[in-house]
Amino acid sequence: MRRKAKIGFYALTSCYGCQLQFAMIDELVQALEKIGIECWFMLERNSDENAQVDIALIEGSVSTEEEVELVKKIRENAKIVVAVGSCAVQGGVQSWEKDKPLEELWKTVYGDGKVKFKPKMAEPVENYIKVDYRIYGCPPEKKDFIYALGTLLIDSWPEDIDYPVCLECRLKGNPCVLIEKGEPCLGPITRAGCDARCPSYGIACIGCRGAIGYDVAWFDSLARTFREKGLTKEEILERMKIFNAHNPKLEEMVEKVFQGVEE
Amino acid sequence: MNNVYIPITVDHIARVEGKGGVEILVGDDGVKEVRLNIIEGPRFFEAITLGKKLDEALAVYPRICSFCSAAHKLTAVEAAEKAIGFTPREEIQALREVLYIGDMIESHALHLYLLVLPDYLGYSGPLHMVDEYKKEIGIALDLKNLGSWIMEVLGSRAIHQENVVFGGFGKLPGKATLELMKKRLQEALPKAEYTFELFSKLEQYKEVEGPITHLAVKPRGDVYGIYGDYISASDGNEFPSEDYKEHIKEFVVEHSFAKHSHYHGKPFMVGAISRVVNNWKLLYGKAKELYESHRNLLRPTNPFANNLAQALELVYFAERAIDLIDEALAKWPIRPRDEVEIKDGFGVSTTEAPRGILIYALEVKDGKVAYADIITPTAFNLAMMEQHVRMMAEKHYKDEPERLKYLAEMVVRAYDPCISCSVHVAKL
Repeated sequence: MRRKAKIGFYALTSCYGCQLQFAMIDELVQALEKIGIECWFMLERNSDENAQVDIALIEGSVSTEEEVELVKKIRENAKIVVAVGSCAVQGGVQSWEKDKPLEELWKTVYGDGKVKFKPKMAEPVENYIKVDYRIYGCPPEKKDFIYALGTLLIDSWPEDIDYPVCLECRLKGNPCVLIEKGEPCLGPITRAGCDARCPSYGIACIGCRGAIGYDVAWFDSLARTFREKGLTKEEILERMKIFNAHNPKLEEMVEKVFQGVEE
Repeated sequence: MNNVYIPITVDHIARVEGKGGVEILVGDDGVKEVRLNIIEGPRFFEAITLGKKLDEALAVYPRICSFCSAAHKLTAVEAAEKAIGFTPREEIQALREVLYIGDMIESHALHLYLLVLPDYLGYSGPLHMVDEYKKEIGIALDLKNLGSWIMEVLGSRAIHQENVVFGGFGKLPGKATLELMKKRLQEALPKAEYTFELFSKLEQYKEVEGPITHLAVKPRGDVYGIYGDYISASDGNEFPSEDYKEHIKEFVVEHSFAKHSHYHGKPFMVGAISRVVNNWKLLYGKAKELYESHRNLLRPTNPFANNLAQALELVYFAERAIDLIDEALAKWPIRPRDEVEIKDGFGVSTTEAPRGILIYALEVKDGKVAYADIITPTAFNLAMMEQHVRMMAEKHYKDEPERLKYLAEMVVRAYDPCISCSVHVAKL
């Protein structure tokens, strides 16, 4: 893009961590020669939600009826829509209990209280509009933003990541949290790009970048390993669902492992 | 005669964390109503973690908010440890407080320079200030980066730290890294002091001057700080943290996905200024000197004093972190983690997040969360914030709507609200 690219950063329901991570990129100041911010309420008062943009970055899950309308409007006004972070891409941790009735969750938190806005169960942005590219993570790494924007700004297209955290973890030479420490690490099914951040601290991956796409997230093999370590089906599903509750393959693949097995 | 009321509305307040708006109903006879609309969707954190394994719930809670994720993590972990009857070693506690201070430094620097300062310098946002205010933006980035780096070293990353686990840490940095951390904190002190000088010159609007009841955690060990087991109020009252429900009542209001809170039937304030008002005697070092020379500006009667109180805390917490690192280094080498047996129990932790009192009450049964109640500072502040926006509106309702909107937003920004945090407060 020869002229300044117009960028919008929009928030749905989230923790604002993706925007915070974006704001913390020191190189952003240098990028101002190449980009113009049309809408970014977190840092800019002169923000126009209705502006036409080249690249729309969307953080957050669709969690109210008002947000359904907002994402549709963003799609109409944007050339490229990028879903940013686990809420926008996978529905976020707030989708963990997506199969429980909304009324039950509402009652637990708000009792009989009424609010004039209309809440709904959290969903990924893609359930409502076409998404052109995804930046993963909770939060995404700074380099994810730099790579994606840097590539899009020279009219090229960023690659997707299709390999698991384990690959980066092995390259770093970490002891294996799953095999050697026996902890329920989700590295084998989780998309890489974080440089195995948590396993490098000896902490089991909780899957914040979401399951690898292209049907290569082998929930079943990992579930089998977890089962051998004594985890129940419910425990396995609960752990895998923290960031993957909307994944269409997850339940059936885990179920398969437990068919005919008495717990 | 029928009065006609015109709504003056900001749909989406800029330069705050989260999504909220202001609605002011104005008529010929004055301001009829002021509402802070909290429009961000609910995420039901307490409800979705019920019955979940403790460690998984503790990984999810910090996702309530990015600006204070370390605060959420550390408070949740302390509540869980109290519930299972575990007390971390002093050196672990000291390093956890350093991590918490990392969050405090980053959050205050971000709020003061990127969210508040543009209003006073006549900019719509910090990105426009880059050429004209190189020094200020440079200091903002340096302080913010220092806070992020501390969180990365001790917490695994600047947002949503996973390295804090019950029993201690997953992994601890080496001695050389902690020495470097001390050096960097030392180098940050003049920048923190510059920030204090800068913010001491900014106007604190007299329109919102009036009595405020302040609540803050009474720090442990008689040193100004973050952790404590009692809550003190500026009316002289003091109560154990676990009795919070007897003193603070929450209720649902229809214009907000976040509940409102009253202390003894009235709105109240929490945050940096509340800490300073209630605990200034426990300050020491340079911050104590600055407090004494600027006492009139750090007064309890104006929400705008919160900005300067944050600047004061930048100075204080940089010095405090150095002392805490020394305490930890005195015990070197440190084992990162103790084995913890997960027993049944109930625990309440109250800490001072960057924006004020944060409460976690957790019950653990069979290694799972049996009850969770989380109350965040912004939820505490909403009622008081509405009252102060109203005071501002009553003085300016005849002005141009744009001017009124601007002033109303500035009041909200002074509170440094964290709207994502406020949305989800539960009582089971």
